[in-house]
Amino acid sequence: MGDPKEITALQATTILISTIIGVGVLPLPLFAVRAGETSAPFVTLTGVFLAAIGLMILTYLGIRHPHKTIITYSQDIIGKWLGKIFSIVVIFFFLILSSLTAREFGAVVVTAVLRETPLEVTVIVMLLLAAISCRNNINVFAYIHNLYVPMILAPVLIVVAFSLKNANLLYLRPIFLGNDLWNMAGGMLTVSALFQGSFIITMIIPAMKTPKKAMKASLWGILISGGLYLLIVIATVAIFGPEEIKQIFWPTLELARTTAIPGNILQRLDIIFLAVWVLAVFTTLFSSYYFTIHSIKELFRLKDHKVLSYFILPFVFFLAMAPQNVLHMYEIIQLIGRAGLLITIIYPAFLLLIDFLRSWRRKKNVAKPS
Amino acid sequence: MWLNHRKLIIIMFSILIPLFLSGCWDSREIEKRANVLAIGVDIASEEDRKKEDEISHLSKEFPTPDEEMIKVTAQIAVPGEIPLGPQQPGGSAKPVLVVEVVGHSFQDAMLNLQQEVANELFLGHLRIIVFSEDIARSGTSRFNDFLRRNPEIRRTASLVVSKEPASKYMNITPELERIPSLYLAELVDNLTALGKFPPSFIGLFWTIYSSKGQDPYLPYLELKGKSAIQLNGLAYFHGDKMVGKTNPLEIGVFMSVRGIGRGGYGAFAEVPGKDESVLVRTVSRNTRTKVGIKNGKPHVSIKIQYESEIDEKESAAIQLSDSAILKKIEKATSKDAKRSIEKLIATTQKTKSDIFGFGEHFRAKLPQYWNRNVKTKEKWDGIYQNLTFDVKVDSHIHRVGMKSK
Repeated sequence: MGDPKEITALQATTILISTIIGVGVLPLPLFAVRAGETSAPFVTLTGVFLAAIGLMILTYLGIRHPHKTIITYSQDIIGKWLGKIFSIVVIFFFLILSSLTAREFGAVVVTAVLRETPLEVTVIVMLLLAAISCRNNINVFAYIHNLYVPMILAPVLIVVAFSLKNANLLYLRPIFLGNDLWNMAGGMLTVSALFQGSFIITMIIPAMKTPKKAMKASLWGILISGGLYLLIVIATVAIFGPEEIKQIFWPTLELARTTAIPGNILQRLDIIFLAVWVLAVFTTLFSSYYFTIHSIKELFRLKDHKVLSYFILPFVFFLAMAPQNVLHMYEIIQLIGRAGLLITIIYPAFLLLIDFLRSWRRKKNVAKPS
Repeated sequence: MWLNHRKLIIIMFSILIPLFLSGCWDSREIEKRANVLAIGVDIASEEDRKKEDEISHLSKEFPTPDEEMIKVTAQIAVPGEIPLGPQQPGGSAKPVLVVEVVGHSFQDAMLNLQQEVANELFLGHLRIIVFSEDIARSGTSRFNDFLRRNPEIRRTASLVVSKEPASKYMNITPELERIPSLYLAELVDNLTALGKFPPSFIGLFWTIYSSKGQDPYLPYLELKGKSAIQLNGLAYFHGDKMVGKTNPLEIGVFMSVRGIGRGGYGAFAEVPGKDESVLVRTVSRNTRTKVGIKNGKPHVSIKIQYESEIDEKESAAIQLSDSAILKKIEKATSKDAKRSIEKLIATTQKTKSDIFGFGEHFRAKLPQYWNRNVKTKEKWDGIYQNLTFDVKVDSHIHRVGMKSK
């Protein structure tokens, strides 16, 4: 609508990367190991693959409708009312996703770093930060993501590189342990749920200079973020072994705590890692928050999304405070994450199918009279 | 009007935000913190037990844990007395404070300790934890829970077993360093660098303890005289309980089986045909462990290559002048090494402690066998006891130092 079309393919890629990499990096090895023990990397890989399929479907849909987002083109494809109902579900889902991101962030900070600071304060600071940043237009949104990507990627790579000194390759074998396939499938869903932020691409495509390049951006985005996730899982499993990971809430954080830069420069890297991780969480939260208000704007055909930014803040905050404790929170996150795949993968697939049928019928109708 | 409104909001915000950003909930001045540098854990003696006050439980109203009571000795840094950088001469005040408390569990003891110390305890600088042998033998898993849960504890902190009561280690006065616990921690850290001990820190201990196919090991220290501490062997565990210790030289043997490349131990090897011996020091090793099923039973083959150096010969009667004699010495050392490796494995088999991690090899390389026959740690212990193995040792002496004979 009012948005300038200036986003390049590179920017779209960085938006995807920094959106996907978020709170999920901390418990990711735990999820993967619970599902597959030593085959955790394999579980992660299948999860990434599933997420990539979902993202490709969504991108393809976006390229077919280069001026609209899923909120608007769904109304074209499956009818005005049905489209609106589904769009409300999507918006609600991202509202919950934003709140859970903020809550998970708060939980980690309160347990590991700022133990005296009330949970509410960390959560609300993060939400405020997102809400204030969301008052900008989509170009600024892209710039912010672009700026943070190297800062997010580099330290994670450093931690992984230095930690490999203590790696024990035996922990990674057997690579495929087919003990409990159902459990592995569940883990795959949980892992690919961590990539749900990539849904943001539907909002990016209409603002891109050349929407056709969106597919390339999607693939690179998921390749880099998925590769990073895989690397993290491999490193943590090789260092701690599956049995130890099962005992740790946030294996990635523990990895940073175990890793020292040689020569006693830094004896533990967790503080650096956490500082970076705050950025990663911020970009993720920023994206899902922006997507929520942008979608509300499109759904109700409002002119501007800025006012909404503060308007939904209390809702997000109360949702964030809903889980009773950390364990409860992770139960909810896994549940919502898996259910969300219906929205982020099945729903676009369904839309694409109908879209194909419609255009096929249209072609037939055009062909008939002639 | 709108503009004013907006300004008002911005002003309100800028007043509100600093309130949230200051983060003062968690700010603690460094000198207001009681930095615990080292902790020693002992089993509480009868008279210690009486000292316990009702801090974390009331005798009748709250459940009292039924585990054996422990005595925790903590070394706390005295603010301002820890020298930074080069040592200033003539610091008279003691840099650390040593406090003893008793408790039913680790956290219980910590709560009791807090009750006696004015400042808030901070465990982020905890460098070393000493378990006395009695504690290690009675089981360490009950301490692991607290240590894992607490975010301040470093995973890279050292964990050692001591022959004497751990409280003695908290009171030593080493000459090389002003702060006793730092000396102790440096000592343990350097063991790995010098090739005297395989890498060992608390995180690694936990990792090995949780995995199914191996048992943990820790350095075993002994006090010599007033302030010297000796690495007296390797304490090996079965599950979380210490079950035995090796000689110091057997640590080298252990490291070669475990596949730690860095060598650091030397041993006398008899020169064949003569009654004298030379001191051969291992420089590096290369280990290959193969696992398989032989006649339906698990079998391990270990192949070790030693790179050694001759450091010293016993008497002039030995002529180290041609390569033939080196070959002979190589053979003799290989034979000795092989024998001691076999002996060490047999000893650990008796106590069911697979410190070499053979079980992990089976789990990783023969998953079908593992899934069918093993699966749990307990079962692996039984299998390990009757594991058959063969050892092949190959040593090479490439250098003899600066002397030609």
